[in-house]
Amino acid sequence: MKDKALQFNNLFAGYHGSPVIRDLSLCVEQGEMIGLLGPNGAGKTTLFRCITGLCTPLSGTVSIFGNNTRRLTASKRARLVAVVPQELEISVPFTIQEIVTIGRTASLSRWTPPSNHDRNIIERAMVYTDVADMKHRPFTELSGGEKQRAIVAMAIAQEPSMILMDEATSCLDINHRLEIMQIIERLNIEQDVTVLMISHDINTTAEFCRRLLIMDHGRIVADGAPSKVLTEETLRHVYHCDVHIQKNSMNGSVTVLPAPRLTHGKSGQGIRVHIISGGGCGEEIMRRLSLCGYTLTCGVLNNGDSDTETARALGIETALEKPFSPVSQPALETAGKMTRETDAIVICGVPFGPGNVVNLDLAQQALDAGKPVLIMEGIADRDYTPDRIATKRVQDLMNRGAKSWQDLTDLLNMIPHTSIPQKN
Amino acid sequence: MKTNKKSILWILAILTPVLLLICLAAGASGLGIPDWKTDTGRAILFLRLDRIITGFVVGAALSVAGVVLQALLRNPLAEPYVLGVSSGAALGASIAIVAGISFLGVFTIPLTAFLFAIATLATVYFLAGAGQKLSIYGIILSGVIVSSICSSILLFIIAWVPIEGLHSIMWWMLGDLQITSRPLLAAGSIVTILCIAGVWMLARELNALSLGSDMAHHVGVPTKLAVTLGLTLATLITSAAVSLAGLIGFAGLVIPHVTRSITGPDHKRLIPAAAIFGGLFLTICDAAARTILAPREIPVGVITAIIGGPFFLFILKKRRKKGFME
Repeated sequence: MKDKALQFNNLFAGYHGSPVIRDLSLCVEQGEMIGLLGPNGAGKTTLFRCITGLCTPLSGTVSIFGNNTRRLTASKRARLVAVVPQELEISVPFTIQEIVTIGRTASLSRWTPPSNHDRNIIERAMVYTDVADMKHRPFTELSGGEKQRAIVAMAIAQEPSMILMDEATSCLDINHRLEIMQIIERLNIEQDVTVLMISHDINTTAEFCRRLLIMDHGRIVADGAPSKVLTEETLRHVYHCDVHIQKNSMNGSVTVLPAPRLTHGKSGQGIRVHIISGGGCGEEIMRRLSLCGYTLTCGVLNNGDSDTETARALGIETALEKPFSPVSQPALETAGKMTRETDAIVICGVPFGPGNVVNLDLAQQALDAGKPVLIMEGIADRDYTPDRIATKRVQDLMNRGAKSWQDLTDLLNMIPHTSIPQKN
Repeated sequence: MKTNKKSILWILAILTPVLLLICLAAGASGLGIPDWKTDTGRAILFLRLDRIITGFVVGAALSVAGVVLQALLRNPLAEPYVLGVSSGAALGASIAIVAGISFLGVFTIPLTAFLFAIATLATVYFLAGAGQKLSIYGIILSGVIVSSICSSILLFIIAWVPIEGLHSIMWWMLGDLQITSRPLLAAGSIVTILCIAGVWMLARELNALSLGSDMAHHVGVPTKLAVTLGLTLATLITSAAVSLAGLIGFAGLVIPHVTRSITGPDHKRLIPAAAIFGGLFLTICDAAARTILAPREIPVGVITAIIGGPFFLFILKKRRKKGFME
């Protein structure tokens, strides 16, 4: 049976005795091309250092092509694994040829000059990465893309069975980034070299790798094909930010985009919006709308509600009610005052019960004054009022001109805005 | 560019014997090859030959040690004395001078200096290597600290010794290529030649380590072993040079840079070239030292800095334009 390219068994590893990687088990077959994603500090680089033996496991084992890393000599390991770092900073002016020759350190004889075989490998590596015509130029004089190609040539000269790319393309522009990725992909396909790459460029990685691993807090939280692994939920959970995933049904590719925001040239500057929410459903909307420049008011909310906390943190004026109490007349009047001054009302996905259904009065009031009311869809699923009063009232509001929205993108398209004058 | 590098090495190979011959002709007793037939002439000739050999060996030793330390510590300011080897050796020599130890004859002072130098590196190494990983900054820092401690003990000794002892210590610290015994010269030369051959064998490891210890690790260098071996050999070379000739500054810092700018940074070429350059440089400086103000002699350490300083600045400026040194 063929040995696995890489096998981690219950690996714990870290620095000064405290684990960065916790109980990680993973198996990589020879010839795979894998992208390793995850936020800074997730343990990706430490994982690489465990493979190369720079970090010794606290417990568990790492084996490369069936060899336990603990028992692997430096030169044998170098013939199995090569590393392409983010950048190589050197102060001495080695020429490209000399740099690539250093890649063969483990194979060169100490007593004789490089053999013809070695020379051929070095030459081929330089041709492969298209640096052969500048092989006598000092490395220190090269551009970022050329430097990176020279380093890839050095890795190729090692003739490894596996290449680890540690953010190897992070400092490059898109052209040079794709150039390096194509060289690596070719190596993977033509020479069956196993590739593992750490990257923060999710889209390029998803494009080139057939398998993605997502790491967080020293564990692998998702493992599989890009279309399976890259979900809005996983990415939100891991990176703590909102993204939008676009799947192309034509070629099956996956693209990660930033979460919806006001398009260029629009602003909420000088527009007042009143938000009716509760139970945390308004947090994201408040955050987004205040980022877009809207002046927000909120209520009626119960004190202690997570939306109340967010509103307070964002400095949003809020009509408040005591914790766990139905909305009282004075609170409703405060909110009514806000409604009179507002330019629009947004009703979030808040569940309505007998206690807060009176908030819909505010929407009624705004509609009567000719102001837009935007209600999140699916009222029937969050209606807990007796006789489904909320659903009926929302239906009534819709008949009189209120509009419904599905997600943030919708809402941002519908909400009133001012245009920013374009500078010429 | 490649042919250029090669032709320079050829020129060097032809020039070396010529330059050494010129140095042989220079001396406090006047210019010209001394008459081989008279006793005095022969004595002067042997005296000069001894000095030239000593100068060449010491110059080569310091330059190669500088090359190795600059590569291992990845620091262009590294030189043979950076790890406190010089202060340790000076302290050892002073103690031997002041205490009047003489049970080993002419070997006493050099041997004490040699042993103190090795002990200094051992201290530095264990201070830096206390953690799991040998850190370059740890080595440099503990080198500076150990060096300062040795220097202050040395200053204490200087402040307390009688005037005759002070003179010996000062002369020793200024560096002196007049060898006191042939066996000492032979021993020092053998240690130096063996160690230079040793670091030359480490050339590919030194090349890899110039890219940083992580990168060296990735291409298959057992970094801790290579760094330890390199440091030990560089210290042995330096200690041998210091015990032969006392403290001679500048050669170990400047010659590696000058050589690198001519041969490129590949240690396979750099190490032998630096040895020849360093040897020539010190021999010529010494010839100047004993002829400029003849019959008085200028300490050779003064000449190395006076000639070496401006020359170094010139090369540095020229090479920076070419982007050779960062």
